[in-house]
Amino acid sequence: MTFTPLNIILFGVIALLGVGFYGLLITRNLIKVVMVLQILIKAVILALILAGKMSGNLGVGQSTAATVIVADTIVAVVGLALAVQVRRRFGTLDVPKISTLRG
Amino acid sequence: MNLLNFAGLIAIPLFSSPIVYLAGRLGTHEATLHGRSYLVRVLALLAVLAAWMPFLISVQTLIVSGPQDFSVNTIRLRADGISLLMAGCVLLLGTLVILFSGSYMSGEVGEEKYYAMLLAMMGLMIGLVTASDLFNLWVWFEGMAISSYLLVAFYREQAASLEAGMKYLIQSATGSVLVLIGIAMVLAQVGTLDMAQITEAVSGSGVNRLALLGAGALFVIGFGVKVALVPLHTWLPDAHSQAPSGISAMLSGVVIEIGLIAMLRALAVLTGFALSWGILLMAFGTLNILYGNLLALRQTVIKRLLAYSSLSHIGYILLGLGIAIYFGIGLGAQGAFFHLFNHMLMKGLAFLAVGALMYGLFLQNGSHAALKINDLAGAAQKYPLAAFALSIAVLALGGMPPLAGFMSKWQIFVAGFQTQNIWVVTLMIFMALNSVLSLGYYAPLVNMMYRKEPSQQVLAGTPLTWTISLTLILMALLVILLGFAPGLMDWLTVPAGESLMEIFGD
Amino acid sequence: MAGILVVLVVALPWLGAVTVWVAGNRRPDVQHSYAILFSVLTGIASLVLLPFASAVSVIQLPLGEAFGDLTFVPDGLAVSLTAIAAVVGSLAVIFSVDYMRGDAQLGRYYFLVLFFIGAMTGLVLSGNLLFTFFFWEITALCSYGLISFYNDDPKAVAGGMKALIITQVGGVGLLAGTMIAFANLGSFQIADLLENASTLPVAALSFIAFSFLIAAAAKSAQFPFHTWLPDAMEAPTPVSAFIHAATMVNAGIYLLARFFPAFETVPAWKMSVLMVGLISALISALSALIATDLKRVLAYSTVSQLGYMVYAIGAGGVFASQFHLLSHAVFKALLFLAAGSVIHSVGTRDMRRMGGLGSRLPFVRNVFIVGALALAGVPILNGFWSKELILEIGLEHSPIWAYGLMLVGAGLTAFYTLRMVWLVFLGEERDHLRVHSAGSAMKVSLGILAGGTFITWLFFGALNGLLSSTLPFHELEHESLIHMVAAIISGPATWLALLMVALGFGIFWVRARGFRLFGGGWLSPFVESSFGFEPINRFVIQGTYKIAERFSTTQTGELNWNILGIVSALLVVLVVLWLGV
Repeated sequence: MTFTPLNIILFGVIALLGVGFYGLLITRNLIKVVMVLQILIKAVILALILAGKMSGNLGVGQSTAATVIVADTIVAVVGLALAVQVRRRFGTLDVPKISTLRG
Repeated sequence: MNLLNFAGLIAIPLFSSPIVYLAGRLGTHEATLHGRSYLVRVLALLAVLAAWMPFLISVQTLIVSGPQDFSVNTIRLRADGISLLMAGCVLLLGTLVILFSGSYMSGEVGEEKYYAMLLAMMGLMIGLVTASDLFNLWVWFEGMAISSYLLVAFYREQAASLEAGMKYLIQSATGSVLVLIGIAMVLAQVGTLDMAQITEAVSGSGVNRLALLGAGALFVIGFGVKVALVPLHTWLPDAHSQAPSGISAMLSGVVIEIGLIAMLRALAVLTGFALSWGILLMAFGTLNILYGNLLALRQTVIKRLLAYSSLSHIGYILLGLGIAIYFGIGLGAQGAFFHLFNHMLMKGLAFLAVGALMYGLFLQNGSHAALKINDLAGAAQKYPLAAFALSIAVLALGGMPPLAGFMSKWQIFVAGFQTQNIWVVTLMIFMALNSVLSLGYYAPLVNMMYRKEPSQQVLAGTPLTWTISLTLILMALLVILLGFAPGLMDWLTVPAGESLMEIFGD
Repeated sequence: MAGILVVLVVALPWLGAVTVWVAGNRRPDVQHSYAILFSVLTGIASLVLLPFASAVSVIQLPLGEAFGDLTFVPDGLAVSLTAIAAVVGSLAVIFSVDYMRGDAQLGRYYFLVLFFIGAMTGLVLSGNLLFTFFFWEITALCSYGLISFYNDDPKAVAGGMKALIITQVGGVGLLAGTMIAFANLGSFQIADLLENASTLPVAALSFIAFSFLIAAAAKSAQFPFHTWLPDAMEAPTPVSAFIHAATMVNAGIYLLARFFPAFETVPAWKMSVLMVGLISALISALSALIATDLKRVLAYSTVSQLGYMVYAIGAGGVFASQFHLLSHAVFKALLFLAAGSVIHSVGTRDMRRMGGLGSRLPFVRNVFIVGALALAGVPILNGFWSKELILEIGLEHSPIWAYGLMLVGAGLTAFYTLRMVWLVFLGEERDHLRVHSAGSAMKVSLGILAGGTFITWLFFGALNGLLSSTLPFHELEHESLIHMVAAIISGPATWLALLMVALGFGIFWVRARGFRLFGGGWLSPFVESSFGFEPINRFVIQGTYKIAERFSTTQTGELNWNILGIVSALLVVLVVLWLGV
């Protein structure tokens, strides 16, 4: 495999996905979890543009990427808003400490 | 005209959402608060009733002239059997939930947000089932997800519902990332996201089949989080038990099923793999049935019990769909869709009846405690209607005749045995035995309610309002009626089954 | 006409059920009268239906591919069972007026009883297997609702759940058999299955035959599903009389009798049926020897008598089984209702506290003794003729050892019957119980049933004609009453059986003085564990709970763990798909 620009971006996507999922598996702080989600979203945005470029239909890739940016900003906002509420109710952002529902 | 009509089906709930919100917010003073809350309820109800008109016209168009395609700029819509069945489910349950919530949610802080979000969610769900573009599908899906996060965490003073909302959000967003990667993989291979064009392109040469298979796996898991396939289900019991009861009904009755439709739509475009998808659906179906039933057996909180039972009912639906897709048996798809519709009614009724009891026992007294099975002792004496409705709902879920659940499960059985395949027949017997097992947790609920010695909570309970009673009566009647006349829903379930066979027939 | 009547016998009780329920618990008198009105009307309709019996379906309603045509076929088997269900049902309802007086939630009680009557008539009249199953499950639902009618009593709830789960597991057999038949024949019609049974692949037909046997055994509380019926005795006594002695438990016998011509040729099927009947008859007769709860003794004896019917079908005597079914429905309903009056009068079911009640409840004593003698098989009561018929067929068509064991069973029956009568009505009073006399509605029901016990055997010819002329697949010979009487009186089987009955009475008589009437010595561990099946039930339930407990630890509620579920599921699916291509 050669280091064409496309391949470099592909490695970037895979690396970001790896970091993101690893982060989701180990992170215990709610704010950090939302941040890790954002890393995953960045990977996705890169992937969409890359896919558009690879298939020769860059317009589709770019427009979808732009939509994803908007949509996931809303998710991040809602997530952070919930995190603020969690901090108020529980007094902590540590995920294991707020996990009361089980079984 | 058709386009306008069809767009109205989506637009009416979607655009009435901000109106309802503003009506509740503008110039609110403490003195007018009560009047405002009444206005909000009536507006929401009117909006959802107005959406019935385009729905009925669309159904008529479908019956007369078959599936229709529309597009407005880059938004592409398709009205086929599946979309209309799901739109019908969303509208029916949405109408009943709004009617029910009138008293249930009255006096809650942010009542107008509740109705606005609920209407928006309904509009987005109807949009989702009509999407005919892969990326459009994701946008609708994400929109629906965002509105449902807010509804799950509606009681933001309650620690547990915040926790449930948070977990739901993170897991759902993870799933959505997987879906997007799948979409990117498809885009990289075929250069388009229009479903019809993808279907054509994937059968052509120069396409990496392995990449498409990977994209399919990502769709299964990504949408599967919303569908609550075991082991992706972990958010579901928390979210269903902590949301307001009307929202639990919506989540269990339509939201997870809409996720399933999204998954089916996305998988259908990757032609040539129907057998793999069929097997996967059957495998997850089996797992869901067993896991859902076993976990429900141990629950003491009723809404959590019902949430686990949703897992097993999704399993029945998956089995029917898997049989239809793998063996090409149309009856399986019809049975699965019929069960989907019935599950919407039965589980909706169950959650609303539990909600009615919570309303009488707790909410009126200012408590947001979880309703435990033991709290229900003797409930039938004070709340004969709610107790009867809950009994009907759980017995129907357990597959007892003469109630709706019996008939749709029967239809899935018929499809399964028609395959004459020894494994599927074994699976069907396994499913029947699980249905018996489910009575092991449904029946004690009924026994508890019909005790003579009432519990402390029941003694302190307050009466229900007529809107709540009306909702319960309507739904219970429907559940009983469908148990006697299973053919009544054929006009929706048969076209849906045909559409499924069409999109999966390669 | 027949069509209208068929609709009436199903719809009238259901209409009544809704009416009573709507009438509301605040007006118990209205509820009583509506219940009586609708059940008696159903009874009359079912009797009027008898002459209209025919083998063709009178109602046909297409319901689509997955459900087939809804048909009702009022043939001899169906109308005779309909009449039994409706008539005994109305008598049980009349009895309930006194028995249930003053009880709360009467609406629910009568709703379930009337709903059951309609379901039972629908079950036997249905010509479509889907609806047989449909009504089959409704009877299970009503039976569960009535067993656990007193929901505050945990024993009642447990008994109801047990009955529900066990009969439902059996129901899975009926479901699977029906589905296999449909997959092979493309039809749910019973007539199609009976007609084309020989064209089915042997494996499929055997599967259907044995799954129906499982369904029948579970419904009729036969070995190895015999454990639920004794626990079902927590139900109000009219319900025990009606559902758990005279009707619902007959549904299994009905199923075997109905499909006998189709399954006859299946290897080992007849022998299996015979063994199921034999084992059930014997072990429950043994259990009845030492039980001290009056209703439990009757429940054991019901299982045992049903065992005789199953045995008869296994030996090829379909008609004999139906004849005994008729006799048993009448005398067992009588015994249960009489026991119900005793229980109602003294307020306990424990026979250890009774004794010497005969002089204080003379009417109840008299009718109870009539029923008991019929159960024991004493001439000329109806139980005598039908049991002799079964034993005669057993002697001709079953292995001699099986016949011998059934004879021993007849002796055991005589023994426990006499013990029961002795403990309740004769001997000295062990406990000074307050006794209320029986009400007049009770006496009406008891009187009619006692009369029936004397005369129903006279209907032998009529029943035989009804069945032989309207069951085209069963090849029953027409036989007259005189012929039957002559055959029984001259048959050696009769005298052997009577000898056994006398022996049973005699042994009890001899040992009554020195015999410890309570506590059965070496028998009791077997009886308490239902001959080893109670522990199996418990093991299955506890095992399920244990697995559920294990599973529930996977729901940790921790976010990282939940994400791990998603990631690992993705990996598994990817690997599976990759391997699969």
